[in-house]
Amino acid sequence: MKREHLLPTLADTHALGRELAAAARPGDLLVLVGPLGAGKTALTQGIGAGLGVREPVTSPTFVIARVHRGGRIPLVHVDAYRLGGAADVDDLDLDASTEESVTVVEWGQGLVEQLAEEHLEVRLDRRDDDVRTALLVPHGPGWTARLDVG
Amino acid sequence: MNEPIVLGFETSCDETGVGIVRGHTLLADALATSMAEHERFGGVVPEIASRAHLEAMVPTVHRALADAGIAASDVDAVAVTSGPGLTGALLVGVAAAKAYALALGKPLYGVNHLAAHVAVDELQHGPLAEPSIAMLVSGGHSSLLLVPDLAQEVQSLGRTIDDAAGEAFDKVARVLGLPFPGGPPVDRAAREGDARAIAFPRGLTGPRDAAYDFSFSGLKTAVARWVEARERAGEPVPVADVAASFQEAVADVLTAKAVRACRDHGVDHLVLGGGVAANSRLRALAEERCAAAGIVLRVPSPRLCTDNGAMVAALGSRLVAAGVAPSAPDLGADSSLPIDVVSR
Repeated sequence: MKREHLLPTLADTHALGRELAAAARPGDLLVLVGPLGAGKTALTQGIGAGLGVREPVTSPTFVIARVHRGGRIPLVHVDAYRLGGAADVDDLDLDASTEESVTVVEWGQGLVEQLAEEHLEVRLDRRDDDVRTALLVPHGPGWTARLDVG
Repeated sequence: MNEPIVLGFETSCDETGVGIVRGHTLLADALATSMAEHERFGGVVPEIASRAHLEAMVPTVHRALADAGIAASDVDAVAVTSGPGLTGALLVGVAAAKAYALALGKPLYGVNHLAAHVAVDELQHGPLAEPSIAMLVSGGHSSLLLVPDLAQEVQSLGRTIDDAAGEAFDKVARVLGLPFPGGPPVDRAAREGDARAIAFPRGLTGPRDAAYDFSFSGLKTAVARWVEARERAGEPVPVADVAASFQEAVADVLTAKAVRACRDHGVDHLVLGGGVAANSRLRALAEERCAAAGIVLRVPSPRLCTDNGAMVAALGSRLVAAGVAPSAPDLGADSSLPIDVVSR
């Protein structure tokens, strides 16, 4: 899988999400980094669609975390936007285990990396011409190998 | 004949609400909020909410009974929000309601939080016209509903495909340096501003877009971009104008879609509910557009729009009156309870 992506449209962001979903395994942690409106929830919608989860993926900001089932792997969608300190997923009252799920955390940089031994960081940004960009940064050998293969 | 007294529990988010009604009459509406504890996080933290519910529950029940001037033994039925909401938070209310129902030997009704937001208006404006269109807008929800029979049949017409309306207020407040929750400060700032100063986008309003779905993500992004551009240029950000223009975009889309839903379904009653229904511009524009379209608008007072126990008791009262079967004793919490399930 390419490390750098140009995402001119919403459909492109969704397509990258589906590509990530195809590579995802239970226990995976994806940390999405980027400013307001960079496409973090849109990317997660693509991941949800790729996994085939039942309900539409919407922003979890208000509830902080939402579990989506019915797909190949459960999707745990976390918004750490408002968490001040290091977050423990146990504190989120999730009725799903992170070992069995793909956990996608928006705004989680520096807060949630300890949840899994390794993780994939996705750096999203919004250019002045409204094109979004994505940079995939693997942390750990597993993600590096997976990105190099695909 | 005395109408039944219903005790209602609401713990789906950060408010511990215990309400008591007799028929459509509000007897008590006791509320404890953990919002102050969430403020430093800029939002609701589920585990903190659950613990706060646990601590507040019994004192809040006692306060409600005292306010209503009744004894627990006077209660005829117990109702509780069993979803949707935060799982751990819902569980506290469900456990408390089951305990009271069992101890008092009264029937228990597990109800839908969103339907309860509609039912609460009956406490203020009497029986709901059926069918009605209901629009529920809060931090966690943005839904348009067709309500043929509030006790048994609620249909979802549309919902947000990304951010909830209240969430857009929270995020825009953050961009503008205003406090959380964002609804009241944006509303206040907007009063001094020009709603036509900036033309922010109206999401999902094109001819081929889903007529009753909402999207507020693009609006939020547009506001952030506009403010960033000002800051980059070294110019001051006109907070009041941004707030007013943003609020206008939200109110415009919400009211246009609600009125359209009424027209398309031949329904002439619209009910608003949820925390965002407390927004002054949304209320004013809804009044204006409903009057023009010949639609009767019903909006509960701001106090009843936000989460409370009275709304749950109000829906419980409807269920009792309609003869709906009570819930099974193994009633649980369902964080994603579908909107068309009024009670279970």
